[in-house]
Amino acid sequence: MPSSTATAWISPSTRTSVIENLVSGVDRYNPSNVGILEDYLYQQIRSQEYDCLANLAILKLYQFNPDLYNPDVVVNILLKALTAAPLPDFSHCLSLFDERPPAPKSEDPLPDLIPSLSTMHTLLIQCRFPAFWTLYHSEQLEPLRENYTIEYVGFEDAIREVVVRAVKTSFTKISSERLGSYLNLRGAELEAFAEQHEWTFDASAGIFTIPANPDNEIESIVVQEQIELKQLTNIIAHTTLKR
Amino acid sequence: MSQQRMALWAAEADLDEDLQDVDLSLAMGSYGQNELYDDAQQPQLDESALLTMQQHMAQQAAFSQIPDVVKRFIVHFHQAVLDNNLAEITVAYESGWNRLTEKYYAKTEWPEAEIIAPLVNDDQIFLILYRELYYRHVYSRLQPNIDDRFHSYENSCELFNYLLNSDGPVPISLPEQWLWDIIDEFIYQYQSFSIWRSKPRTKTDDELGLLADGGAQVWSSYSVLNVLYSLIQKSRINEYIVATQEGKSEEEISEIVGEYGTKPLYRMLGYFSIIGLLRVHVLLGDFTLALKVMDNVELNQKSPFTRVTACHVATYYYVGFCYIMLRRYHDAIRTFVTILNFMLRMRQYHTRSYQYDQINKTADRMYALFAICHALSPTRLDDNILNIVKEKYGEQFAKMSKGDEGLPAFEELFLYACPKFISANPPPYDDPEALSALLESDQPHVDPAHRHLALFLADVQAQSPIPTLRSFLKLYTSLDASKLANFLDVGEEEMVCQLMMMKQASRSISRIGSDKEGGDKSAKGGLLDGQMIVTSDLNFVIDDNMVHIAESTVGRRYAGWFIRNTEHAQRVLDALRASPLPSSKGAGGAATGPGSGPKPKGGNDSTDVQRNNAPRPGGQKVAWGGVKAA
Repeated sequence: MPSSTATAWISPSTRTSVIENLVSGVDRYNPSNVGILEDYLYQQIRSQEYDCLANLAILKLYQFNPDLYNPDVVVNILLKALTAAPLPDFSHCLSLFDERPPAPKSEDPLPDLIPSLSTMHTLLIQCRFPAFWTLYHSEQLEPLRENYTIEYVGFEDAIREVVVRAVKTSFTKISSERLGSYLNLRGAELEAFAEQHEWTFDASAGIFTIPANPDNEIESIVVQEQIELKQLTNIIAHTTLKR
Repeated sequence: MSQQRMALWAAEADLDEDLQDVDLSLAMGSYGQNELYDDAQQPQLDESALLTMQQHMAQQAAFSQIPDVVKRFIVHFHQAVLDNNLAEITVAYESGWNRLTEKYYAKTEWPEAEIIAPLVNDDQIFLILYRELYYRHVYSRLQPNIDDRFHSYENSCELFNYLLNSDGPVPISLPEQWLWDIIDEFIYQYQSFSIWRSKPRTKTDDELGLLADGGAQVWSSYSVLNVLYSLIQKSRINEYIVATQEGKSEEEISEIVGEYGTKPLYRMLGYFSIIGLLRVHVLLGDFTLALKVMDNVELNQKSPFTRVTACHVATYYYVGFCYIMLRRYHDAIRTFVTILNFMLRMRQYHTRSYQYDQINKTADRMYALFAICHALSPTRLDDNILNIVKEKYGEQFAKMSKGDEGLPAFEELFLYACPKFISANPPPYDDPEALSALLESDQPHVDPAHRHLALFLADVQAQSPIPTLRSFLKLYTSLDASKLANFLDVGEEEMVCQLMMMKQASRSISRIGSDKEGGDKSAKGGLLDGQMIVTSDLNFVIDDNMVHIAESTVGRRYAGWFIRNTEHAQRVLDALRASPLPSSKGAGGAATGPGSGPKPKGGNDSTDVQRNNAPRPGGQKVAWGGVKAA
């Protein structure tokens, strides 16, 4: 979500016409199309793309056809949705989960993972980034890292983009220590990352400067009422007709 | 899609057997052809003549019980439908039916369709319509039992089958209100069935048996969606809306929409089906898809769906609710303000409507949702609505602005005002083992409404530090972060995270900008579209460890109020001038002269009349001009 409109979210440039037809047409309900959408998800996982509505279409098919349910796909969808924070994509995904009969636990990793994923999501929308990294690297989440995010190209960088969005909005200057704890990066890595975003580093003070953008430039505005002629047409028309 | 369609009608054939319902086994193709229908009835008489005799006698007894006035009403109603006389149908539908319900059937069913059949020459189409009303009455006034639920589904299938699968468009006309009610009731019964079905603990053995046999198909989500999408496709309503927006000529449009789409019956059913989809997707928790199906529908007072008030109100309720779930509180507020203002202005007109109560309840829910949105994203969009909200939900309103301790108030209002969410899938009635495992498991059953509530509350809770932070920030223009952390009694780093969260919460995607850009054609981007806006008057930025704060103020708005009242004064003056002098008959005073008397200068009469006829739209436009400037 780099832009300031929803257009790219509604219809990402990476979406092919086949996927577009599935997302916008009635074919989205046809269970035999689930494979196409799942392939598209794995393409997103490999190529750092994101298409929320297409992924929700998978969950919709799972909702109507519990037989199709594939927990690995669901975990990947949720991981993708995490990186869209602070947009509520993660909640949209969970909204489509119907209560399902308890399956034998060994077969379905989801019941164990969902609470952790939800906590990760909460930490991200609360902007508690240091706590996020601590949780993510904890022993408890080893299964998630070993089985899922290892396949997910650029997962950590995608989370860092969540951080970048928050920092860009809120800061004009930020200490390297603080920024490092948010990005889970140190030293040269941190500087290289900041340079990509054209954040300049003052090494002597240990402070990064964030370039001005619409959100980190503040000013007090007094909004005065503006009356448009259109609003007065009735009154004026009435007056002139009388004379 | 064709595959799913088959599933729907196939399921129906099964049910007929299961329920041994003699009457419903009529050949589908024979609608409207009475001779064929008699043929079809013949074999059944032969097979079970005795049983039929007994039934016949029972029916005759039941028939004689029907009051004459009801019989006359049914005959009259039938004739109006045969004549396609919309005015008469409307009177019978909106007034006659409800009056007789109050008088004779307030606590019992209307006579069954089979019993009144002789009155309408066994007209199967009318009987389907009659059953539509019959079951709707059962659902709204009485407790539907499992047979009612199954049969009302069959009847809906027969009705839609007749509409969709006859040879060409069917030759009946129904009032728009009724067409909306058909779609609305169809979805209501689906929702009602899904909720009823989701509670296996309260089912009798008979019910469990029926649900195990046919429950998966009856009122399945696929079948309901299938009907709605089929109506949309058949009527080519989306193509119609796009063509209308592009300003195509009537000939071009009728070319585009084909033989079904040119018929008001199909066009309106298509239109209402889009709104129906919006509702079904919300009930199933798919808020993005719900708004996406509305892509072509323009949300304004000129849209055709506004002609049926119940539909108008429902549309805005569900759209507004979607915006809440998309965390686009500002768009939600704008949606609610629009419709609530409309309802305030229309109050005096629609009190007579038989759906007045229902519409009012929806309005109360929207006031509650408005309160929720306002707590999360305060706005001064409309003081009038805000004051009503404070009157209705003052207590919760105050609590919700207090961070963490306000959560119970959010919960209370959300559960009161949210739609009746449903699960897409039934409990495993067809799998006895799984069912008994479910019944015995001590896991608490989480109903869909509480699932959505939990997701929503998680986001609300994440925002709970905002009110306190805000109250401190308002006092300063700049302030050291460590000092602020001291005030709040939290660690500095923790507090800086809260500030980032607060800053992000003050940014939201909204349709506001896109509206202005496109002028009247705001629909081009659809309801999901929008751009980033600032939703808070309090802005701040962190410069290393220093927080700089800037507060924006909005001057009071007077123009809308003055314009409205000036117009009102003009209307009053016109009315005074147009009315006769209050003098008594013989008084010579009447002759004071035409100049100052009842008749102003001749040419102005017509304009006066026009003004008096259309006072409301005039007043509305001004109010909206004022609000849009926000």
